[in-house]
Amino acid sequence: MPSGALLFQSVILGLLLGGLYALLASGLTLYFGIMRVVMIAHSAFLILAAYLAWWLHENIGLDPLLSMIGTVPLFFGAGLLLQRGLLSRLRPATLTMMSVLLTFAVALLVEGLLGYAFSGTQRRINLGYGSAGLDLFGARIAVVKLIAFGLAVVALGTLWLLMKRTRFGWALRATIQHRDAARLLGIDTERVAGYGFGLGLATAAIGGTALSLDTTIYPSLHWHWIGPLMAIIVVGGLGSVPGAAIAALLLGLAQSLLQIPMGTTWAQTIFYLALFVTLAFRPQGFFGGRLAQRF
Amino acid sequence: MSITSFRARFSTGLLATSLMISLGACSGDSDDSAGDGPITIGISLPLTGDFAEPGKGVQQGYEAWAKIVNDNGGLLGRQVELTILDDQSNADRVVADYEQLIGQDQVDLVVGPFSTRLVVPAARVAEEYDMLFVEPAGAAKEVFEQGFENLFYAAPAVANDHYNHLAEKILALPADQRPKTAAYAAMDDPFAQGTAYGLKEKLEAGGIETVVDEVYPPNTTDFSGIAAKIADAKADVLVGGSQYQDGVNLIVALQQLGYQPKLAAFSTAPTNPEFAAAIGDKTEGVLSPTGYSQDAPYPSNSEFVEKFTAQFGVPPEEDQANGYTTGQVVAAAVTAAGCAEQGECQQKLIDWLRANTVETVVGPLSWDETGKPKGAHMIQQWIGGDIKIVLPEDVKEADFLFPKPAW
Amino acid sequence: MPSVSRVLKIAAIVLVAAAILAFPSLAPNPYVLSAGVLVLNYAVLATSWNFVGGFTGYISLGHGALAGLGGYATGLLVVKGGLPAFAALLVGAALVAAVAVPVGFAALRVRGASFVIVSIALVLILLLVFQSWASFTGGSRGLVVPRPFDLSRPEHHRVFYYLFAGLLAVALLVWWLIDRSVFGLGLKSIREDEDKAEALGTATFAYKLMVFVVSAGFTALAGGLYALWFGDLDPVFQFSILTGSYLVLMALLGGVRQLFGPLTGAIIVGVALEYFKVEYGDTPLHLVATGLLLALVVLFMPDGVLPAIGDLIRRFTPGDRTSIREVSAAELRDQRLQNAGGTR
Repeated sequence: MPSGALLFQSVILGLLLGGLYALLASGLTLYFGIMRVVMIAHSAFLILAAYLAWWLHENIGLDPLLSMIGTVPLFFGAGLLLQRGLLSRLRPATLTMMSVLLTFAVALLVEGLLGYAFSGTQRRINLGYGSAGLDLFGARIAVVKLIAFGLAVVALGTLWLLMKRTRFGWALRATIQHRDAARLLGIDTERVAGYGFGLGLATAAIGGTALSLDTTIYPSLHWHWIGPLMAIIVVGGLGSVPGAAIAALLLGLAQSLLQIPMGTTWAQTIFYLALFVTLAFRPQGFFGGRLAQRF
Repeated sequence: MSITSFRARFSTGLLATSLMISLGACSGDSDDSAGDGPITIGISLPLTGDFAEPGKGVQQGYEAWAKIVNDNGGLLGRQVELTILDDQSNADRVVADYEQLIGQDQVDLVVGPFSTRLVVPAARVAEEYDMLFVEPAGAAKEVFEQGFENLFYAAPAVANDHYNHLAEKILALPADQRPKTAAYAAMDDPFAQGTAYGLKEKLEAGGIETVVDEVYPPNTTDFSGIAAKIADAKADVLVGGSQYQDGVNLIVALQQLGYQPKLAAFSTAPTNPEFAAAIGDKTEGVLSPTGYSQDAPYPSNSEFVEKFTAQFGVPPEEDQANGYTTGQVVAAAVTAAGCAEQGECQQKLIDWLRANTVETVVGPLSWDETGKPKGAHMIQQWIGGDIKIVLPEDVKEADFLFPKPAW
Repeated sequence: MPSVSRVLKIAAIVLVAAAILAFPSLAPNPYVLSAGVLVLNYAVLATSWNFVGGFTGYISLGHGALAGLGGYATGLLVVKGGLPAFAALLVGAALVAAVAVPVGFAALRVRGASFVIVSIALVLILLLVFQSWASFTGGSRGLVVPRPFDLSRPEHHRVFYYLFAGLLAVALLVWWLIDRSVFGLGLKSIREDEDKAEALGTATFAYKLMVFVVSAGFTALAGGLYALWFGDLDPVFQFSILTGSYLVLMALLGGVRQLFGPLTGAIIVGVALEYFKVEYGDTPLHLVATGLLLALVVLFMPDGVLPAIGDLIRRFTPGDRTSIREVSAAELRDQRLQNAGGTR
């Protein structure tokens, strides 16, 4: 029987992890909402952002957090280009399938180029505060994990405000809900979709920076992330940002707690188990996700 | 059936035929190389993928060996030429590579790739073409359980015996000092697990209780869960069956949780030149087994260190030494047998190695009938900002430090 | 003139078959022969993939996992179950087909996106399970499958080359039969417009599930045969996401609606992979090349090279211009459907 302290510690670790999952899954949900696109390359860009943070830290000693000044706008632009230049060229009838392949191809490209540029060696940023921790009622919280979690919360909050409180947010939500109707209302849905994609990729930039603070990175790491993230967006209900966030927190927590009795490897299977159960019994997802019914 | 679809199908056939034939045709130019040309040695190494880092280390070892041999006039008066292919850390590829090296490139000798996962399939190819197979990296005991008759592991000890000296030392401590509990965390890899479980077996037999026993997949990047378990169990001894980065990550995660073991041993990771910086210079007292030391007094070692450093600008580490040792073993066999080509010569080489001892940079090596070397590894420890040999007693550079200072 | 075209068609098939069968005698050394076995293995896998991809338009990135599962099922039945090799192969394939039922049930109840997600998840979860369940699968220590025949290595390659060729012939035949059946018609209606097909009374879910199971069975046969040939199974290589993507690339490149499309794609990509390994082996550029090629095919040639080559020949052959009416009518229909958003 695990001790109370270990349980408490695991709950905290699970929530911290869940926060990061929530941020990353929100980006994936956004793409799906806007264009019905399952964006396989999302986590490849995540790793790319982490590599940029690592490279800047290694070469000019820049703190990873500052690298976001560059990577966030850069990724926004890349997302815009990806949507305009590639995805919008696909035939609408086969968009869902072909977009998966196209983003899969982009993921391979990013992975291959990262491997080419930085080799397959595992990298990690050595921060002065990397091993520091805080005490919280007997549990320890690593400073870097707390920063990563803070980043996720701030980014998610900003995204929420943007969606709820700005004209662009309204247009974006209208486009997600009903594209044709939005167009009739005079919304330039093409442009909104492009910006939405940029926004999604910008979350990958923030997530990648958060990731680089505390874990090792290597080019093929993105496969390790895309699986859980896809499970999260299905469990949360395809297209629902709050659903994805709730699913992310719950699954992150479950993974962390299951590690105690089952070990690291088996604990990861919870994501896929949840995915299969959701699709078999409640394909629209457990937390909203009106869109999932049809896709 | 419309004309269009017929055309399409017809052109498939045409394409298929021409490609099949071109695949066959573009590969016929292998020449018979036995005789007085250079001795070609085929190697497949993981230069990309999961094992790229150690793979490149072994490559340097092989290259250094070829250069030193050639500078000294070659083998049997013939120059040595290496053909190195990349197997992308992939078992399918490693097999295809050795097929290509033996069947198409007609190399005279083959030597091994890196990592147990790749050594077993590779050794089988070599075995089935009756080639001698000396390998630098398949240290897990599984390699020697396959019934290979052509395989020789060119290092002092197999993974499970790496910690033998340390186990003896721990169990010999006075009862009031001897640790009571131990935690093991090992990568799901035959080599890494082999090292940790070799020690686990011996400590358990000596009455040291196992309180945590974790195995993690090679791609694990988040060690906080495992670290939480170990910290919660407050184990006296920490054993990591690690390669490099996973060991560093585990240590950092344990530091974050404020856990302090009395003894910490990791395979491979602490001998890496970047280890100290990676864990924030809190290395004091960390232990690691090693099969190679730059300061080891074996006859060929000083030449190796000197010339390797001249060639690559940095002194050799264990991976490099393993590659070099493999070369030395093959060279000894070739010199003794007086031949190096495919065919009957290979059996002469195998028979000679089975019966003899070879002097190498990691000491004298000899093998049992499965190709398992009959030695043990030295134990190194970080002391005063440098890693030094502490066990066994007769070659030690510093005294064994116990308990380990806080990190 | 259908009779002439029929004769030519049969001649073309005979030519392909002859080229494939003659290859082992033309191969200058065992290495080339083993590369031929790999290419044929890919061809069987891509053709098996095309049961789902070609007929229903559902794209699976997880067929690599089904092949791996077939390999492990065969291997474990031989090693742990003590079955003779080829009995194990058939039982293993049947088991995988059975596993495909619940997987398909979860994946196919809803439309495409979930199917793709499940197919990728299948690779990742099987990797985790086969790696972690070491007491049963051998885990990272791998599983050694004993050879079914006591032959020298080159002979062994040759035998398996013909076994793969035979399996390929069976897979192609079954595909061809389905293509001409009512069942095939129902499947293709799903590809063109699933809603309309459903409204017209096609049991879309049952159709999709059935063809998925057939596809899984053939994939598992190929995987099992591979296991018997190769001998060493390791979860990391058996359950690789890259294998699935190669299959998709091969089928798309060749043309998913052509009987011989996946075979063509497998030969092109298989040879290209081998070439890339030789030329750029020590860099991760093969990923870049695969990615680029996949992107180009998706963007510019979603129907594959075979139809593209067909178009090209038609455009430059005066012979076709004389029989203008039929062909251009077909062309017109194609264009109209394409503009309407169909894929045919």
